[in-house]
Amino acid sequence: MGMSGGGGQGGVQSEINVTPMVDIMLVLLIIFMVVTPFLQQGITVALPKNMNNPDVDPNIIKESSVVISIPNDGQYYLGKKLVQKEQLADQVDELLKKIKNEQDRIVYIKSGVGVSYGDVVNVINEVRKLGVDKIGLVADKKKGGAPVKPTT
Amino acid sequence: MTSAMDTDKHEKRQTSTAVPYINVTPLIDVLLVLLIIFMVVTPLKPSRFKADIPTQRDPNEDLSKLKPNPLTLVVSISPDLQIKLNQDSLGSVNDTTPLAQKLALVFHQRKEQHAFKIGMEARSDVKDEDRIEKTVFVKAPRAARYGDIVKVIDAIKGAGANPVGLQVDDLP
Repeated sequence: MGMSGGGGQGGVQSEINVTPMVDIMLVLLIIFMVVTPFLQQGITVALPKNMNNPDVDPNIIKESSVVISIPNDGQYYLGKKLVQKEQLADQVDELLKKIKNEQDRIVYIKSGVGVSYGDVVNVINEVRKLGVDKIGLVADKKKGGAPVKPTT
Repeated sequence: MTSAMDTDKHEKRQTSTAVPYINVTPLIDVLLVLLIIFMVVTPLKPSRFKADIPTQRDPNEDLSKLKPNPLTLVVSISPDLQIKLNQDSLGSVNDTTPLAQKLALVFHQRKEQHAFKIGMEARSDVKDEDRIEKTVFVKAPRAARYGDIVKVIDAIKGAGANPVGLQVDDLP
């Protein structure tokens, strides 16, 4: 009889305490909000899927890294911007100048699976002339890929 | 006595102030939706194959002094998509397992026979694993599809090769 009011002194509180949950969600939300502007999405490319052994590299989606996308034959995008083949080298060079650390001088190439290799090599050739000797071929990783063991 | 007090309290509650709780349910709803939006927008773990490409050479350099490295491995892909490791045929791009196994075997043998990289012979402070020559070059025709080449690179990486180099000049 005395408990019918609910939440009175001595009574069992029937509400879930949501404060810690809200705290954690707010923190997560803020983390994601802070991280998102530093990422670049680029354009959608039919990347090679289900590869076993590419190395994970979080730098690919960093705003500052140089990513050349080739969704179709003869279409070159630098980041999100469509670039003519002739101007590609100049613009890549400009972006590379902003990279101070010698170790980070790497150009990522996101090419579609259907693009002819000759096109990719042409781009690589342009990049090479700028003095870059490391490239990253972006690919999608299959879950649980394992290295090959020698069979005798 | 007790019963009378309880009734008293009960009546006070009902007649006086409202329960001082903020209703947080809509707040949580909005937060959850925002959280999910940001989580979806943030892509997870991109990955890539690292490949080396030759730097521009000085055209006046005397190439005749350069000795060919006997440990060089070249994976070449023919226009009909057959794979060759140096001279040995190893299937086609549709099934790269023979190539991966052969490469893994080669690296294994090199480790046993201590076929180390040039300049690495005396470095006993480095693990054997890192001292053997594991460089593999890929030579592919320009007309091939990029997807097939990446499949081969995947197999080469899977066998433990590092670094992988792409031949840029003089492609068929």
